[in-house]
Amino acid sequence: MPFPELWNWLQTRPLAEHIGFTWWFPFLESIHVLAVGLVVGSILMVDLRLLGVTAVRYRASRVTSELIPWTWGAFTLAAVTGFGLFATRASAYIENPAFQLKLLFLLLAGVNMAWFQFRTFRDVAEWDKVTRTPGAARAAGAASLLLWVGVVFAGRWVGHII
Amino acid sequence: MKESLAAALAESSAREYAVYLLGNVPGLPPIAQSVHILGIAVVMSSAIMVNLRLLGLIAPSQDVSEMIGRLLPWMFWVLPINAVTGLLFVVARPNRYFYNPVFSWKVSFLVPAVLLAVYLYSRNRSEPDYWEKYLSRRVQSRVIALVSLALWVGVIMAGRWIAYTDYLYPADGTFLNQLYYFWE
Repeated sequence: MPFPELWNWLQTRPLAEHIGFTWWFPFLESIHVLAVGLVVGSILMVDLRLLGVTAVRYRASRVTSELIPWTWGAFTLAAVTGFGLFATRASAYIENPAFQLKLLFLLLAGVNMAWFQFRTFRDVAEWDKVTRTPGAARAAGAASLLLWVGVVFAGRWVGHII
Repeated sequence: MKESLAAALAESSAREYAVYLLGNVPGLPPIAQSVHILGIAVVMSSAIMVNLRLLGLIAPSQDVSEMIGRLLPWMFWVLPINAVTGLLFVVARPNRYFYNPVFSWKVSFLVPAVLLAVYLYSRNRSEPDYWEKYLSRRVQSRVIALVSLALWVGVIMAGRWIAYTDYLYPADGTFLNQLYYFWE
């Protein structure tokens, strides 16, 4: 892995060591699970609307705009708590294939979301009310669903490898 | 009752079977746990959306009655999946869970949380807009929403802490002692 000094520096910070050796670790971990639950759950609702499966009586743009702030809030919480957990054993986690896969899925989910936001969603006015959303929107919803399921699986697997 | 149930499970063939599955199906423990977490995502978002909506904090354009009818069935469908993926571990190691105080917390939060959701759902089902018709019902629904939210957060937190019981109930001293040690 690149930057071995960086990971070693990170995991020897007093705060990182404090998290690793006290009840802070399970505390951050339980908040992390809670936040992940909200991220994945709210994204699932948006994805299912994009796929035309649920909440079809509401405009897609309405469902999206009402849920996304909650997704981002929960994502921030998950990222902060996740970083705290990562910092306790950064060198080991960065080498952990499950952790690497999790980061890859997160990156792809981000790319998918950006693509959807800046390309597909621009003409949302044309398909806002329809149940049968355009192929690009359905593809974005399906990809997001699979990637986030992958994030959860890889994330849970991290602790079984380390 | 807890003791006899734990003892009965410990000697049952169900236990042998669960232990065999967990030890011999490649990757089953993390797979079951991941499915459990995905289930948590569905249950939590369903519960949180409905309860925050009852409190008037989310999705103002969506209709309360329609939302209860649409979202809570997701919880009722997914809870059995979480029961299976969770009980797999309980059956395999009954003593680890039945004598774990944090697991008892989880169950004591989970049961009322589910009952409240069933109550919200069944009233709404028997009478559309049930929870919005009178002020008294709106107040009641908000109290239920607040209590439910707290209970669900408790379920998730306790669930993750089952594996870390020693921090809360250390062999040498109390949790408060540890807190004190930290702030010292």
